[in-house]
Amino acid sequence: MPTVRRTLRPFCLCLFSLLLLLSLQTGQAKTERDPSDPLSETDRLALILAPQPGKDPLDRELARLQDKIRANRAAKPQILQLGWIFVSKARMTGDPGYYKMAEECAQLSGDESASLLLRGHIDHALHRFAEAEAVAQRLVTEKNPGWQAYALLGDALMEQGKLTEAIPVYQRMIDLRPCLQTYARVAHLRWLKGDLSGAEELMRLAVEAGSSRDPEPAAWAYTRLALYQLQAHETKKASWSVDRALEFVKNYAAAMALRSKLEVERGQPAAAVDSLRIAVAQVPLPEYQWALIDAAELAGDHDLVAKTEQALQTRGASEDPRSFALYLASHQKDPALAFRLAEEELSTRRDVLSYDAVAWTALAAGRVEEASENMKCALAEGTSDARLFYHAGKIAAANGSKKEAIGWIKRAAGLQQMLLPSEKSDLAAQASNLGVSLAAESVQTTKLKMAQTASRKR
Amino acid sequence: MACAVASLLAWPAPVHASSHMDAPLIVLDPAANTTDVYAFRSNDANGAPYLTVALAVYPFEEPGIGPNKYNFDDNVLYEIHVATGADVAAGVPTVSYGFKFITSYKNTNTILQSYLGRVDNVDDAHQNLTQRYTVTKTVGPSSAPVTLFSNVLVPPNNQGLLTPYYNQNDNGDRPAREGVALTGQLDRYTTQTIVSNPTGYQVFAGQRDDGFYADIQSIFDLDFSFSGPNKPFDSQGGFNVHTIVLNIPLSDIGGTNQVVGVYASTSRAKVQVLQNPGHGKQAKPMTSGNTVQVARQGNPLFNEAFVAIKDKDLYGQTAPSTDTNTFKAYALNPELAAALGLDANHSTNRTDLAGIFIPDLIKVDLSTGPARLAGGSNSNAGAAPNDAGFNRLGIFGGGPNQAGGPAPDVLHSTVQTGFLNNGTLPGGWPNGRRFGDDVVDIAVLALLSDLRNPASPTLAQAPADPGIDKVDHNDIGYNKVFPYSATPLNGRSHSHH
Repeated sequence: MPTVRRTLRPFCLCLFSLLLLLSLQTGQAKTERDPSDPLSETDRLALILAPQPGKDPLDRELARLQDKIRANRAAKPQILQLGWIFVSKARMTGDPGYYKMAEECAQLSGDESASLLLRGHIDHALHRFAEAEAVAQRLVTEKNPGWQAYALLGDALMEQGKLTEAIPVYQRMIDLRPCLQTYARVAHLRWLKGDLSGAEELMRLAVEAGSSRDPEPAAWAYTRLALYQLQAHETKKASWSVDRALEFVKNYAAAMALRSKLEVERGQPAAAVDSLRIAVAQVPLPEYQWALIDAAELAGDHDLVAKTEQALQTRGASEDPRSFALYLASHQKDPALAFRLAEEELSTRRDVLSYDAVAWTALAAGRVEEASENMKCALAEGTSDARLFYHAGKIAAANGSKKEAIGWIKRAAGLQQMLLPSEKSDLAAQASNLGVSLAAESVQTTKLKMAQTASRKR
Repeated sequence: MACAVASLLAWPAPVHASSHMDAPLIVLDPAANTTDVYAFRSNDANGAPYLTVALAVYPFEEPGIGPNKYNFDDNVLYEIHVATGADVAAGVPTVSYGFKFITSYKNTNTILQSYLGRVDNVDDAHQNLTQRYTVTKTVGPSSAPVTLFSNVLVPPNNQGLLTPYYNQNDNGDRPAREGVALTGQLDRYTTQTIVSNPTGYQVFAGQRDDGFYADIQSIFDLDFSFSGPNKPFDSQGGFNVHTIVLNIPLSDIGGTNQVVGVYASTSRAKVQVLQNPGHGKQAKPMTSGNTVQVARQGNPLFNEAFVAIKDKDLYGQTAPSTDTNTFKAYALNPELAAALGLDANHSTNRTDLAGIFIPDLIKVDLSTGPARLAGGSNSNAGAAPNDAGFNRLGIFGGGPNQAGGPAPDVLHSTVQTGFLNNGTLPGGWPNGRRFGDDVVDIAVLALLSDLRNPASPTLAQAPADPGIDKVDHNDIGYNKVFPYSATPLNGRSHSHH
């Protein structure tokens, strides 16, 4: 399966690029086109009807819809359905090329609410949050708007850091429809507001409303539940939830990544490496690659460390600039680039995690004052997150606020199971510098292991 | 974390409707997805009159699938509503029966979720996952619910070797038992989970065979010939559902001389986005007042085959009291009539169809005797036969297989105008709905008929085949005793056809 996906990813992107190029080259000869829109309807249809590899149920449904559309090229409901299937493929594979395909479906399926919803969803997925908000605002003013319109609006607001505005929108959403997707959103909002037990409660409702007929959202919800449980030190429950996620979707990348965290906690770095290899092969996100580098380091697999670092350096900025910026800053690699990437992210995505990225990269770049200012924004909503606290501690220390730094470091240590091994190691070092004794042994153990590995590497 | 936030965006791809998957959103919430509602006059063994009501949920349960077993959802409030008197026309419940489930495990230190070994008796040490439920009765909109039953057991799902007593010769390798005519012949698990209370109510909830049968594939393929390779095809054949069955003593709802209306709904708890500090962690106990309705159903096929996609979810979220204003146009001007080739006169202003579907309650004339019941078609496998005179109803009486048999059930109803209103014979859908009513054939025949003038009903267009969709029986025989629904199909031995 990983091999198929590695093959598919460039296939999908290349196909799109080729068609786009072809279209641009021939575009001037076709007078019926909108000059600002280089693809003709024929081009769009050719794009969405291109045969796709794969044999899972989603691929079969995709092929079935393509056949229907080939038989009737004006079949807008089927084109719209195909668009949502491409969205599902994008979520399963992490390949944004599928979002482009979905976008073409949205273009072809007209201007009605259902098409707008798909368009808004794609805008959001591609981090065009302002555009997504505009679409959602239009949808919620229509007659009898569905919960999806409010969900899209709430999501767009939340990503732009407008949490206060998002709350009543999400309330309207869940008043209209309690279901996996709405429970999961509200759970995340509660988590952002620091209400871990409330988030866990709702994510439990979400998983119980899941369906094997739509397995990916169920797998996602179980993975999120496991994350909350791990944060609440309910390791056994977290492990159970990860297993449930993997029953819904075998080798589900997010669940494999979380499983690796549990394996590291249990002192099984080799198993963590195996889990992360699977996750990265499917969805090569910088967060997973970073975790793989750390796990491989713990396991003493230096070749894998080097190989994964190379892959991360090559594509990290395009895959997920915010996580890549955090990685760079954490490893003191090209802090200027890290800061620039984080700032660019903040320009469109002004949530607490983007503020944290700017703060952390600013610290790495020696801009302590900016780091402090942005860290305040990152902490403003009361989010309880190990990485935020760890960053806040280091920034406060750099700012000379020792008492504040000790407070944040202690809070981070209380949630250290959520951190990557390299972060735990640095947290322990920071605690030591501040004269703080962290009771939890695992921090010391991790530090020791990291140091031993580094020593062997040298 | 970036991935985490981005992934929150997901919502289900809208999937267009088919039977048992009536509205796009509810499709992906199967535990709350109502597949069928049944309501018919019955008598118990002593001749006491009952209204039997049933609600089936969780469509297309593949028997025996694991390890994510199908169950009732602890977070869903299942309700069956009965309207009497003026409430029938208003679409307002007079009495509501609520069903709330609680799931527990005997051992969570195992991957074996449902069974630890062969289940010899319900809730024995080998049944790891056990569900129990409470039944409440609420009269009117403001009274407090009264508990009718509590802590009632749900039997295990029919896995196969671990649940042998559901199956023929108590053998887990054999197909599920056919329907029986006597309570003493019911399988062990079903028998152990039928409960009565002192006021005469009787209840059962558990996995059952999906009693709906039809070639839904052809309908949504717009192929009204219902012929071709692999036809006839029962789209629900080989699948189970979860079913709640309640026997309501007529003495508790006003006696026999009345017409009542029945529908069912499923709801999920209302949620506050941000919890009030110090207000406590969990929501209040789940009752109608603090829930959000996510699905409802009255008559079969209305939401699936009449309501447009854009309004299907709205239908699920609203009450029958809104039907006249919101959904009546769909019954008056059915798109399906035009798809069947009927002229404008027969596809518009169909007040006869609106009489059935608006408000969308199953109307049951309780003044008749007990309904004739369906048994099974496979008597060789031990199925009880149909009651004499039982027939898959036709609007004009009779059916394709009635020659020489006893007088068939004919739709004589005082409920809807236009149906030759003698009102004396026990009926089937749309005068109530029994297990076994061939609702697709009846609905198509109703569309092809014109009953707007009670004095001279006509058949506007004869069906191409008298068997309409050519699927005329269920894949397994029904029980002719409570809980009436058929034994759940064996995960180890079943087929789709």
